[in-house]
Order: sequence, then structure tokens, then C-alpha cells
Amino acid sequence: MSETLDGVGVTPLSGLGNARWYRPGEHPDPEDVTAADPETERERFDEARATAREELETERERTAERVGEEEAAVFDAHLQFLDDPQITDGVEDAIDDGAAAEAGVARSFDAAIEQFEGMEGMMAERADDMRDIRDRLLRILSGGERIDLAELPEGTVLLAERLTPSDTAQLDPERVAGFATMTGGRTSHAAIFARSLGIPAVVGVGDALAEIEEGADVAVDAENDAVIVDPDEETRERVATEREVDVRAERVETADGREVEVAANLGTSAELEGADAQGADGVGLYRTEFLFLDRESPPDEDEQVETYAEALDAFPEGRVVVRTLDVGGDKPVPYLDLPEEENPFLGNRGIRRSLGDDGDLFETQLRALLRAAAEGAGTLSVMFPLVATVEELDAALERVDEIASDLDEAGVDYAVPELGVMVETPAAALMADEFAARVDFLSIGTNDLAQYVMAAARENDAVAHLHDPRHPPVLRAIDRAVEAAHDNDAWIGMCGEMAGDPELTELLVGLGLDELSMSAVTIPDVKAQVEEIDTADARDVADRALAASTKGDVRRILDQES
Amino acid sequence: MERTVTVVPEDGLHARPASKFVETANEYDSEITVAANGDEPVNAASMLAVTGLGVKSGEDVVLAADGPDEEAAIDALEDVLTTPEDEYE
Repeated sequence: MSETLDGVGVTPLSGLGNARWYRPGEHPDPEDVTAADPETERERFDEARATAREELETERERTAERVGEEEAAVFDAHLQFLDDPQITDGVEDAIDDGAAAEAGVARSFDAAIEQFEGMEGMMAERADDMRDIRDRLLRILSGGERIDLAELPEGTVLLAERLTPSDTAQLDPERVAGFATMTGGRTSHAAIFARSLGIPAVVGVGDALAEIEEGADVAVDAENDAVIVDPDEETRERVATEREVDVRAERVETADGREVEVAANLGTSAELEGADAQGADGVGLYRTEFLFLDRESPPDEDEQVETYAEALDAFPEGRVVVRTLDVGGDKPVPYLDLPEEENPFLGNRGIRRSLGDDGDLFETQLRALLRAAAEGAGTLSVMFPLVATVEELDAALERVDEIASDLDEAGVDYAVPELGVMVETPAAALMADEFAARVDFLSIGTNDLAQYVMAAARENDAVAHLHDPRHPPVLRAIDRAVEAAHDNDAWIGMCGEMAGDPELTELLVGLGLDELSMSAVTIPDVKAQVEEIDTADARDVADRALAASTKGDVRRILDQES
Repeated sequence: MERTVTVVPEDGLHARPASKFVETANEYDSEITVAANGDEPVNAASMLAVTGLGVKSGEDVVLAADGPDEEAAIDALEDVLTTPEDEYE
């Protein structure tokens, strides 16, 4: 009897295989272990540390190779904690008091975790790192089998409570048929990596996932947001059939000849190749946070130039749109010491920090961007996140001018890139004409725009039904921005999840978007859709959707079309 | 020996200044501790202990060292704590 569990599909892919549980945090209760003499326990602890160090070094290397140096840096932090005298002294004291190595590790780490959990922002993040290391040591001590995520048998469907970004980076798309996790959302790092690697994945399934037994027959049907246990013949066939999608390497136009640029959203150099393989015309959103996260100090100017130029060289005929650093209360960066905010989504983030606390970082990033614009092959465009006022935009543009003069004086090669504004706040949608008059382009970030227009947090499941771009007010905000852009000779793109939903392509073309940017894996579908579209019909769909009073009406209008 | 030092780097004893501090403490043979806000002294060679103090820029810490190179150690650590971050090597 097949059983279907609902979750959130993060890739439009599906896979079929045997369930394998990944439980890095499972081990016998450390306090139940009987201690031998202290000397033996100390030896056991030292050996476990040596094994943990080997494992971490292997994983670090693999992550650096497959995803990038920035993501690999998290392992450096783990390695550092492994040898931290506060931890090791704590373990040894407990062993001297007659504890087994397991109890020593648990007590010493738990004390440190407790200390960090009570702290702010990034320090609380560290508590997660310490939990990971504690569990690793306890697994090694209990002789537990280590599941090497890179060496899973072919046809594995990996199940876990959660997967860290570094866990996800280990997965081999050739072997893994898919994964499903209890926690997580569409925009979690694990989800973003799954899309980059092209692995079928369903996250946020909840506790029901725990009932799936090791070895069970499981289908991960991410297209339909479902995990199916013991799927019937029909489901098996549907899921197992590799979807035949033709990758279109060339640019596409609608049936009546209007060109629509289809680009990729990404955040690391490792994803460039995958984007190109899916036929991306360029990059419509380069999230620069990944360059800054999971490391102890910010990347310097030269490192950034290299990263941006690499992206420009990957798309010599295309455009790469880089978003300047977008961090705030919900994205921890160790060296920025971000304050805990009552309401991070309405707090000090995006351009607000770049023009304030992070002025130096912003300046270094702009210098690197202007230098990369002269160095890389493709066209560089730079956009500012979370702009709400014309003053903010003017200040940012002034920064660019100042830096251009500095570079000029210093005799450094540079070029001023295309400049743009992200439309993520209702303020930006309402003032889009003023913004468009001052820049070359606008780009609509629909995840945030829907959140702010509907006053419904992205991360809150209880209001997920409100956080949907099909609500008429969100469509009207988009329409207003498109019209303002075109009236002021600016081009306009979209880089939120909405852009990658093939069911919405006709609507978006009808609304007049010039560029759609999405997870690489959805590009072939969207390109195929574009070629089917007649602009006049699409405009008609858009007009009817804009006149609708409810999300239900919008859905019905779209269903009639498909 | 003991010495009270006011922390200069903007980040306080976090991120880069903390790594630099711990790295320096590890270069000496003496037992070195650091204490803040009248709390118990902690091991200066432990990144966890040092960042766990939550010391901000402008606050005072008490450095204490005991061993063959205690004076050099305290001098070196004072140097780290009184150098603005952007002047690091």
C-alpha cells in the first residue's frame, strides 16, 4: 500500500530508490558507558580525535573541490574546536574524575554549547557547529558506522532530519536518486545546493518522515512536493522516466519574435558550469553572500575580482548581474557580529548595512566589481538589494562614482558596470519610476516582494498561503514596476522563485518582463515555454490576472491557459 | 604577573582579533589566562573560552601569565589587544 508524505519540493526533478537513513547525531547515551581506567579512556579520546580530524580533512577537501573554498571554511572551524584546550581540558578533567571518554566529551561540549546558546547571532550558530563535532566524536567512540555521503550505493534515497550545506556538498548526483529531510525550506542552503547539483529533493516533510524504514522503496517526487513510500506501478513509471527536456543553448524568443533572456541564479563559482550546461544565457542573480559566509574574515579585493571575473568569463556573450552584499539579522556572518534583531526582515539589512555599518565592505566590493568589469569577458551589471528610498539609491550611486574616480587616479583598469535596483520592498515598487529614471535596470526579487506586500514571513509555515506571488496585490506591484521601467528606458528582470515556475512563464512574459532568472535546473523548461508563447495572448492573460480579485481567480485564469 | 588592558579593535574579542589573540597565546609556554567583567579567568589559548567572554571594544580585560616567558607573552597579547584591526599584518 503506497503512502504519500507532503513536503516542499526544491527541484523539478524526481527519483526512485532505496531509503537510507543518515543520523549523524545518533549514539548510545554517553553516561551509560562504563569507564575503564583513566589512562585507557584518555587514549580512546585521543584516538577518536585523530579519526575525527581525518574525516574532517577529507570532507573539507571534497567540499572545496566540489562547491568552493567558502563552503569548505566551515570545516576549519570544526577542526579548530576539536583541538580547543577548553574542550580538551574539560574532557580530561571528567576522565580523571572517573568518567568514560563518551561522558567526558558529552559534558565538556554540552557546557560549551550552553555557554554559546545564550549568546547573540553568530555565537549561537557556533553552538550548532559544536553539536556536530560532539556527535561526530560520540559516533566514533561508540564504533558507529560512518556513512560517507560521497560513497552512497547507487540508487540511494537519503533521509535525514536535516542536512547541512556541507553534507549536501558531499552528495554525488550520479549515485543519489534523491533526498528528503524533516526540516528546511525552499531557500535553505541545502535546497539551493540540491538545485545546483541537480538532485531531486523534498525538504520540510516533518516528523512523518521518521516512519519510513531503512531500505524501503521510496520515490522523491519533488515536482509534486511529495515523498511516496512503496509507490505503485504507475507512480514508479512516472517518476522513473527521465524527463526529456531539450537544453537550448541559444537565446529564445516567443512564437512572435520577442526575445526573453533566461538566466541563472547562483552564489558560487562551482555552479557556473551547471548553469551553462542547462542553457543559461547568463547570470541574473549572483548572490555574493556565499563569498562572505562561513569564514573568519571577509574576502579581500583581489579574491573578489577573481570570483566576479570568473563568472564573466563563463558567459562571454552574456550578462552577469551581481547583487551587492545582502546580509542582515537572518544571515549570520561571523566577523560582522550582526546584532540579534527583534524583526530581522524589517531590520538593518541589504543596502541599509552597506551604506551604514558595512561601508568598508561595500567599498571593497564595489572596487572589485569595477575592476572585474574591465577584466572579465561578459557584461557586468550590479544591483543593490532592499532599496526603499531614492536617497539610498543616490548614496549608492555616489559611492560608485567616488570609487571610479579613485581607480582612475590610481591608474587601475576599471569599467563602470550597468547599475540597477532590486524591487523587493513595496516602497521600491511604488517608486519604481523614480528608480528607473536613475539606473539601467530593475530586478524584481519576488520572494521578498511577496513577503513584504503580503506582510507574511517567508519562513513561517502558518502564513505560507499568504506568501504566494499569485496574490493579485503582488501581481499589481510587479506590473507597476515593469511599466515604470519601460517608461524610463530601463530593462526589467525577475530573480525570485516565481521566475522559475514554468506555469507562470506566460503570465510573466505578458506582464512584459525582459529577463527571467532562476535555479539552473528549471531553465530548459522555461525556455521551452517561452518559445510556445504568443505575446498578445500572454498580455491578455496578464490583464485578466491583474483584474482578478483573489489568488483563486488568478489560479483559475492560469489553469484555463495550460 | 598580571596586567589590565583596554580592548581596542572594533570587533572586541571576536572574529579576527580573537583568532589573532589565541594564536599569539599559543606561541608561549607560560600558562596564560584572560578575565573580563570580574568573571573567572579563562584559558587564553582557547578560541572557545576567549570568544565566550563576549568582550566588546573599549572594555577592560585582565591578562595573567605564569611561566618562563610570562612577560614576553603579556607584552605580545597587549600588543594584539591595542592594535586596531585594520592594522593587522
